[in-house]
Amino acid sequence: MLLQLVVSGIALGALYALVALSMTVVYRATTVLNFGHGDLVMAGAFAVYVLVLLVGMPYGLAVPLALVILFGFGVGIQRGLIRPMAHGPHIALVMMTIAIGYVIRGVARLVWGRDVMPMRKVLDIEPIFVGDVVVTGDDLMILGVVVLLTAVFFYVLYKTLAGKRIQALYQTERGAGLVGINVSKFHGTIWGVGAAMGAIGGALIAPITLLYPDMGANLLIKGFAAMALGGFGSLWGAVIGGILLGVIEHTAGAYISTALIDISAYLIIIGVLIIRPTGILGYEATVRV
Amino acid sequence: MRTKAGIGLVVVALFVPLFTNEYSQYVVNLALVYVLVTVGFNIAIGTLGQLAFCNVALFGIGAYTTGILMYHFHWPFWVALVPSGIAGAAAGFLASVPALRGIRALYLAIMTLAFGELMRWVYIHAETVTLGSGGMPVPTPTFFTMSIHSPFAKFYVFLGIVVLVVTGTSNLLRSRIGRAIVAIKNNELAAASLGMATSRYIVLAFVWSGCIVGIAGSMFAILIGRVVPESFNLVELIQHFAMVMVGGVGSLAGAIAGAITLTWAPEMFRRFPGYEELFFGILLVVILLFLPRGLISLLTRFVPGLAERYYRE
Repeated sequence: MLLQLVVSGIALGALYALVALSMTVVYRATTVLNFGHGDLVMAGAFAVYVLVLLVGMPYGLAVPLALVILFGFGVGIQRGLIRPMAHGPHIALVMMTIAIGYVIRGVARLVWGRDVMPMRKVLDIEPIFVGDVVVTGDDLMILGVVVLLTAVFFYVLYKTLAGKRIQALYQTERGAGLVGINVSKFHGTIWGVGAAMGAIGGALIAPITLLYPDMGANLLIKGFAAMALGGFGSLWGAVIGGILLGVIEHTAGAYISTALIDISAYLIIIGVLIIRPTGILGYEATVRV
Repeated sequence: MRTKAGIGLVVVALFVPLFTNEYSQYVVNLALVYVLVTVGFNIAIGTLGQLAFCNVALFGIGAYTTGILMYHFHWPFWVALVPSGIAGAAAGFLASVPALRGIRALYLAIMTLAFGELMRWVYIHAETVTLGSGGMPVPTPTFFTMSIHSPFAKFYVFLGIVVLVVTGTSNLLRSRIGRAIVAIKNNELAAASLGMATSRYIVLAFVWSGCIVGIAGSMFAILIGRVVPESFNLVELIQHFAMVMVGGVGSLAGAIAGAITLTWAPEMFRRFPGYEELFFGILLVVILLFLPRGLISLLTRFVPGLAERYYRE
């Protein structure tokens, strides 16, 4: 029983980890926390939905194409809407990210209204039994993709020149500019990467939770909770926090009360920030307000 | 100049019911509620400059306090208004505690956001008190023996409350206390080094903000006649935040302008069913891009005398 909960919790948590990681990437590089990120994830899920079910592409083609679209979308948002306000008050940037999310949701609402759409499974196989533990095709798919993606992400970050540049940017924006990194251009790229990573999360979560224009708000809160739990602004913290959040949700829901599934994210945010604001992997944030 | 403008505005407002029907009067009343919501929210995020996103929780606590006192205990509205303000102030005090402990900026934003969502869960699940997700009917308020049922009667009641609270806030913001709060926003260390008890002023700003929003919640309860958990969700919070930003963050007059504009705008969008949310989002994006200091910057550019002395963006 416990083992089953942990396994399915890890699979769900891997999704939260992906959402949290894609938010952290942008936050660390640009100091902007994207409050509209949940809606970007929703946009990614809908992009895949349109390409698979309406255009009729296979998943193998639809997902990469959705990634390219969302990457371009992220870059466009940064260039057109975030960059002009980059030197204004920080609070206006917070509002801007919310407003962008609102526009994205508005477009989805316009087309799909309040409908809830089912999504075909990516890996439609019979559940696998390992002892007493059931592992579904969704679980396998999520775990596989997330492990692969985080591996690629951290490889790029630690082992390649582009990764070194991102690290320089994380340490000091000004210093990175001084050694010849085009900071402004890089911010655009990072927004694109964040949006594309979020889109993968959206494509993976859609077959499980179904697809609806309002799915973003819930994912945003889960992403925040994962970030707070792991340590706000820490990349590894986002991954660990996300997986822990998934496991906590499932075990607390089964052993204590099902009501806790809905509110464990909120309780975790409040609890962690009161007891240990730096989370599991302590990282001192640079405050810019 | 500003006093005269204020008095002029109130005198004009007195004649508004001559030009409205039942529905448009309801929208005007809603705008008055949002004026208080925005003025209160603006003290926390504008004047004090802390990202406290629990405004919708404060609003809900005020509304539910009035709802519970009028529905379960049959208190008159006038008496229930006071505990609603006090409950909002108490919740504001609660929100100031993490801010004092060094949880600031985005940490505070996320924590208070979680608090607001948690409160909504409480409204839904504390069924014996709040009657759950179906909502709680609020009896028609009475003034002595006179029933305040029509939106026109409510308008004068609301206008009276709003004028009192806004005048009080305006005076407070220009007093020693208001100047101290602005000083803390600009540079907390410098303010402390001048001998200001900064934590006391931070708590005061949160409590004052919570009290105003609590009163607004109480008015909202009798305006709608039913308190429903879904009235206090994230979308509502975005509305409050947008009103502050569109008006001009940190400015009292801006808060009023933002509240009126964004209560009126969705009514215009109703002519295009399906497009409401999209238009609202686009309106926000456009105002943020082209008027980052809000509508008030447009006004003070043409009428410099209206500028507030201690207003800092």
